[in-house]
Amino acid sequence: MPAALEIAVTVLILAGAFFMFVGSYGLAKLPDMMRRLHGPTKATTLGVGAILVASMLDALLVTGDLSMHELLIAVFLFLTAPVTANMIAKAYILRNRAERAALPPTGRPAGWATLVRGEVPPVPEGSIRP
Amino acid sequence: MTLALIALIPLLGACLPPLTTRSSRTVTAWAAAAPTLLALLILAAQAPAVFGGEVVRTSAEWVPRIGLSFSFMLDGLGLFFAGLILGIGLLIIAYARHYLGRRDPIGRFYAYLLLFQGAMVGIVLSDNILLLVVFWELTSLSSFLLIGYWNHLPEGRQGARMALVVTGGGGLALLAGMLLLGQAAGSHELSEILARGEEVRASPLYMPALLLVLLGAFTKSAQFPFHFWLPHAMAAPTPVSAYLHSATMVKAGVFLLARLWPALAGTDAWFVLVSLTGLATMLVGAWIALFKDDLKAILAYSTVSHLGMMTMLLGFNTGIAVIAAVFHILNHATFKAALFMSAGIVDHETHTRDIRKLGGLYWLMPVTGTLALIAGASMAGVPLLNGFLSKEMMLDAAAEATLAGNGWVVATLATLAALLSVAYSARFVFGTFFGRPRTAFEHPPHEPPPGLWLPVAVLVVPVVAIGLLPGPLAGPIVEMTAAAVAGPAGLPPVKLTLWHGITPALVMSVAAFAGAALLLLLIHHVERARLRLWRPEAKAMFDATVAAAVAGARRLSGGLHTGSLPRDLGVIVLAILAVGLAGFLGATHAPGAREVQPTGIPALAAWVILVAACAGLAVAHRNRLLTLILTSVVGLIVSLAFLQFSAPDLAMTQISVEVVTTILLLLALNLLPKTTPAEPGTARKLRDGAIAAAAGLGAAALAFAAMTRDFETISTYHIEQSKPGGGGTNVVNVILVDFRGFDTFGEIIVLGIAALAIHALLATALRGAAARRLDAMRMGEVSGDAHPLMLVVATRVLLPLALTLAAYIFLRGHNQPGGGFIAGLIAAIALIMQYMASGHAWAAARARLQPLTMIGAGVLIAGLTGMGSWAFGRPFLTSTFGYFHLPIAGEVELASAMAFDLGVFLTVVGAVVLALSHIARVEQRAERSGHAPEDAALPPGPPTAAPRIGLRTPAYGRED
Repeated sequence: MPAALEIAVTVLILAGAFFMFVGSYGLAKLPDMMRRLHGPTKATTLGVGAILVASMLDALLVTGDLSMHELLIAVFLFLTAPVTANMIAKAYILRNRAERAALPPTGRPAGWATLVRGEVPPVPEGSIRP
Repeated sequence: MTLALIALIPLLGACLPPLTTRSSRTVTAWAAAAPTLLALLILAAQAPAVFGGEVVRTSAEWVPRIGLSFSFMLDGLGLFFAGLILGIGLLIIAYARHYLGRRDPIGRFYAYLLLFQGAMVGIVLSDNILLLVVFWELTSLSSFLLIGYWNHLPEGRQGARMALVVTGGGGLALLAGMLLLGQAAGSHELSEILARGEEVRASPLYMPALLLVLLGAFTKSAQFPFHFWLPHAMAAPTPVSAYLHSATMVKAGVFLLARLWPALAGTDAWFVLVSLTGLATMLVGAWIALFKDDLKAILAYSTVSHLGMMTMLLGFNTGIAVIAAVFHILNHATFKAALFMSAGIVDHETHTRDIRKLGGLYWLMPVTGTLALIAGASMAGVPLLNGFLSKEMMLDAAAEATLAGNGWVVATLATLAALLSVAYSARFVFGTFFGRPRTAFEHPPHEPPPGLWLPVAVLVVPVVAIGLLPGPLAGPIVEMTAAAVAGPAGLPPVKLTLWHGITPALVMSVAAFAGAALLLLLIHHVERARLRLWRPEAKAMFDATVAAAVAGARRLSGGLHTGSLPRDLGVIVLAILAVGLAGFLGATHAPGAREVQPTGIPALAAWVILVAACAGLAVAHRNRLLTLILTSVVGLIVSLAFLQFSAPDLAMTQISVEVVTTILLLLALNLLPKTTPAEPGTARKLRDGAIAAAAGLGAAALAFAAMTRDFETISTYHIEQSKPGGGGTNVVNVILVDFRGFDTFGEIIVLGIAALAIHALLATALRGAAARRLDAMRMGEVSGDAHPLMLVVATRVLLPLALTLAAYIFLRGHNQPGGGFIAGLIAAIALIMQYMASGHAWAAARARLQPLTMIGAGVLIAGLTGMGSWAFGRPFLTSTFGYFHLPIAGEVELASAMAFDLGVFLTVVGAVVLALSHIARVEQRAERSGHAPEDAALPPGPPTAAPRIGLRTPAYGRED
């Protein structure tokens, strides 16, 4: 059993390292902003995710208990990484005029949220904005 | 400690009158009278012993290392003055009850009065000369409040300020003089200094000490040329003038001269300085008093003149003159307080104090008129009244004084002053109460209520009684007081009698009366002649001096503080370098004994990144965003270094501080201009670079030298004692909340103050000129959805998670990395996310605890925890801990330090949230004035239903 676990940990670390490398390489090499955005998101989700699982298994191997801290890290990461990417993309759309022209129609009455400056309906107490 | 109580009861009693302002004014007056009466009773209880020749003492240590002790002494002089201060104080309290109008805040008045009274009693009872200076300055401060009591009047404010500048400045000279005197005598206790008069006068410090002490006494007693502040202090309500300028404030200078008489008097320098200043003051004051039209101004200058007379007498170096001075202090206090109160009554009833508009009041208010007539006659020195006796003694002493071999100069000038004194007294009384009425009063003035004239009557009784029976009534008091003044030197026998026979003094007195009659007949001619003379305007000169001092100070500080940050930093760094170099070059050195550890690849890599980031900073400093990113790289590497050297606590702190700082700077960057200041020339760059490099190399060398040596530090103790002494295994946290808890307490207070300053500075940014500047700012293009859905949702989901984490970090802090500070930063970041994502208004509306409340609660909790140890008889912030067994959670450790840590936590959260949310709020204001992207740039699509330009409507980001 320990041997199998050790192999699993090794594979996970290697996989994590691979995705992190791919993410970094993509960030450096991809031609424009929107495509570059994909690099770091892969690195944080797949790369860090694999390493976190490896860390949990490693704790099981060493102490005999599954470490739960990593789950918390994963939760924080999975919550923040997409939002960060979203915010970067929004900023990019706002700043880059050429990009705006190339945006596809939204297919709904409202335009792109970043660009349409409009009144925001007040949020009812205790609810999330519709 | 009974003696100390006499001074402390009025000081503490000052809290009483303001508490009773909801009751009637009479109750408030009683609340002020009660402490005074109590102090007077305690004083009276001590009186028999003092009359028996005893000196009552009490002493407690205060700051023994600088010779400051809390020691009091009651001898004849102290008893005499304390009796005057408290006795007349009581009369003034009764008088003020009726004098002050309904709109005057009477509680505040009595509070100031009691403060002043306590300080005054403190001066006359102090045994320690430094304690005396403390009380001396307290009288300057409290008299400032009293003189400026009618603070709606510009004269009141200016007069108060002038009095404070002159007497407070003199107080500083006095402090220096007292320190020198203490050096010369080898003690700061008055009782010892007075016994060592010979030593003091022989000391080389005698002259500077004398000059400084005299400067203090002369400014306080309004001696020429510092006499100008006293008349301006007349802007105060009349009870204040009556109190300050008859028996107390200005007498403090005279008291000091009398108190230090055995130590300082007896030399030629003393004679020349003191008696001539007194003589000049006596003449100048009397001369000006004669030509004033305001009743209170006449009395003010006459006070100046009489103070000069007492000063002159004390300067004569003879026992007879001391007796005369003491006797006149008593007499002057009675008749002058009575006259001031009479002037107040006249003002109260006729609403004017201008002697040109008054006259004939005697027939309208006979009681007041009679009292004022008697008191005025005493001031003039009419026989059968007490003023006559002390004036005779003064003239007697003056007749004996010789100046530069001349026996008649002092005598003639003293007679001239007496002449002027008769003249202005006559003008005061006759101009007000006799002759024709000069104004048609709408409501004819009438006798005031007894509350106003009774205190005057109480003072006029001794004026007559002492005048008739000086020996039996005043003799013992004067003898006891004069003996205390003269000290070991001894006195000639005191004989206070009405009739001395035809003496030179009597002749001079008669001459003075005859001359005064002549002068009053010719007054209009004299006045015309006087108007042709040059009359210096003291207030203009004072104002010009103050303005020049302020301008000079501005120039000096402007020259030192140019506002250039590079220059200031350069000076600081150069100074540190110079000090370090001096230390380095002034000692021998050997290389450290410790071996240098090998460098690993990760450490090297981190070092390279650090250096690269710093170099990048220097190169790219014009790009502010890049600078910020590079700075945070430096911060992260530093926290990695902390981890490497087993300081996880510091690493956590560093990372959380880094995050908060970055958010703060990002918000601030948005408000900064988009251009950086012009680059300096190459020469300056090279210079600054050289300074920076030298400082960096110096710091590195110092660190290297320290790290290659073995030396004993306090950390060993901290590590050993952390668990047994503080109950925690996390040494850093135990140091913060326990070993060095007082430091931390001070630091959170500083943090709170800084947050309050931010609050105060930025609260105004949304109003007035600052708001217009914000409106004028163009923030570039602003996103259509200021609060993106994803961000809003994510931050709200994260909030409970982050708060849980903060609680976890907080709870484990005592034993594992964590603690209140880090937890506070994490909680603050969690809250700030809400402000940033959902808008200030949204977040602020939902915050149950305001940041300011949190700061206050934090400091309060920390302070109360510290004070809790007092209940167990331990010093402030002693901590305790214990282990408790809870049913489910098992073994739980609770330390009192955790409550303290909670205080730290709350303060940190409050301060950070306050700072960031305020900046965010200012930001939003600027943002709203920005412009939306042009419609032309919108992608083709169905047009929006309506032009939705409504960001100013109450929605997100609304400012109240």
